[in-house]
Amino acid sequence: MTIGLKINNLAKIWNPDSNNPVKALDNINLNIELGEFVVLLGPSGCGKSSLLYILAGLENATEGIAKFDGLKIESPSPERGLIFQEASLYPWLTVKDNVTFGLKISGFSQNKRDKAAERLLKLVGLKGAGEHRPHQLSGGMRQRAALARALAMQPKVLLMDEPFAALDIQTRARMQTHLLDVWKESKASVVLVTHSIDEALALADRVIVFTSRPGQIKAEISVSEPRPRDLRSSKMLKLAKKCEKLLEEEVEKAFKEQELA
Amino acid sequence: MSSQDFSSSSSSNNSKIRSYKLKNYLTTVLWTLASIGMFVCFWEFAWWRGWANPILLPPPHIFLSDLSDQFRFFDPGGTRAGALSTGGSFLSVLGVIAWSSMRVAAGLALGFVLSLLIGLGIRYFHIFGRLVLPLVTMLAPISPVAWIPVAVFIFGIGNAPAIFLVCVAVFFIMTLATLSQIDSVPKNYIQLAQIMGCSKRQIYRHVILPTILPELFVTLRMNLFAAWMVVLIAEAVGVGSGLGQVTMMARNTFNASLVFFTMTLIGITGFAFDQSLRYVQRKVLWWVGPSTVGAL
Repeated sequence: MTIGLKINNLAKIWNPDSNNPVKALDNINLNIELGEFVVLLGPSGCGKSSLLYILAGLENATEGIAKFDGLKIESPSPERGLIFQEASLYPWLTVKDNVTFGLKISGFSQNKRDKAAERLLKLVGLKGAGEHRPHQLSGGMRQRAALARALAMQPKVLLMDEPFAALDIQTRARMQTHLLDVWKESKASVVLVTHSIDEALALADRVIVFTSRPGQIKAEISVSEPRPRDLRSSKMLKLAKKCEKLLEEEVEKAFKEQELA
Repeated sequence: MSSQDFSSSSSSNNSKIRSYKLKNYLTTVLWTLASIGMFVCFWEFAWWRGWANPILLPPPHIFLSDLSDQFRFFDPGGTRAGALSTGGSFLSVLGVIAWSSMRVAAGLALGFVLSLLIGLGIRYFHIFGRLVLPLVTMLAPISPVAWIPVAVFIFGIGNAPAIFLVCVAVFFIMTLATLSQIDSVPKNYIQLAQIMGCSKRQIYRHVILPTILPELFVTLRMNLFAAWMVVLIAEAVGVGSGLGQVTMMARNTFNASLVFFTMTLIGITGFAFDQSLRYVQRKVLWWVGPSTVGAL
């Protein structure tokens, strides 16, 4: 049995039967191993989020196949947790009940849920916030609660769709460090979508650079520096330059296409 | 990463908040009184200058002067319109108000629950939705007034037709509101539930219902006034007793003082209703931020 995510010749077309079908992804081949931290980097609208939704099982691929642990991904599953740009906590539940929502659905007892909530909230640094309501938390705290909610299901993969894009730069840096800690502890794979080169280089084992629409894999960059990384070191700066150049070409291309259209 | 301190604010802070709230409340009350006072002054002025005929447009000091005389027209027993009741007292006035209020409350509650059930049903069961939605959309624009004869045909005279009419007045609009609320539940909420392993039934029960309830309650509150109008019309045309019946009797007997006295009662009762619904909303549906509730 193959472990991890396996994506073969995958393509996604939005509205395939309409007058203007939009090709979002084309010819994607990618393997992500257990415990690996992969960042999908690309200009906005390049379809990298679509790929994430397909991996989550919320969307179907038009062509090709995505497999997880050898099985075709057809529907959502708790073992592939998803984190959105907005925390999307349920406003009618307390933070604790949000975090253990999935456990409740799976039929865990109140006692077990309380224990899990305590452990998870401590893990994400929200100890004592369990009885609060989501609107009482700051953006960064909400996103940490969302992380705890995903971790509650003990996922094997964490899919993250620009999870820190709505946060200010300082909070974002702390959240990245924090995510790395949680990732090491949980031993799950992480697939994170971003358009920030710095974020990609700070986090990833492997950065997958996407072309503009339709999204194709343009380059793969392995980052072997030990974490925490100094993004100003000469080696990292070189990598950043490389990414910048790759992205610039794509943005240029996208702009030209928009002018034509 | 350190955890934040979430201990609740100190008691001195709490009392400060309380006095701030009290001040806010008093300001609101003062402005409300000023608003009513302005209107009353204008009316009294018009009477004083002789612009308003005291027979047709008696100002408040006239129609509020002889209360016991007015009270005689209120009969909570609900006997036929036009009859002077024997024991006209303050209690009988409250009784009449209570009858009208009860009809509004029952009709609203019934309409709310029914529209919620039908709305959820339309989206949950596909075939049921296909079958029922066109009907609801077609019946929605029919004024509740047009339903009065139907109400009388089916339920005769009494409480039932009045409650039915209030129910009709809110049902269709609330059903359509339920549908639009279900459709605007954030996609993220549902996708998250799917990932957590929720079944369709669980998504409706644990995600969609709590998401749509607050907005629906706001819609219900906005339709409260429509419900009041309908119940008065229903009572006026004789499907019950109540404030509407008193108004109609006052019209038929050219008793302008009684008309305005009853109108005052209707206004106050409607206001009280709105306030109590607002209170319920704040207590039961706490997850709507106070800002959203306060806006209406």
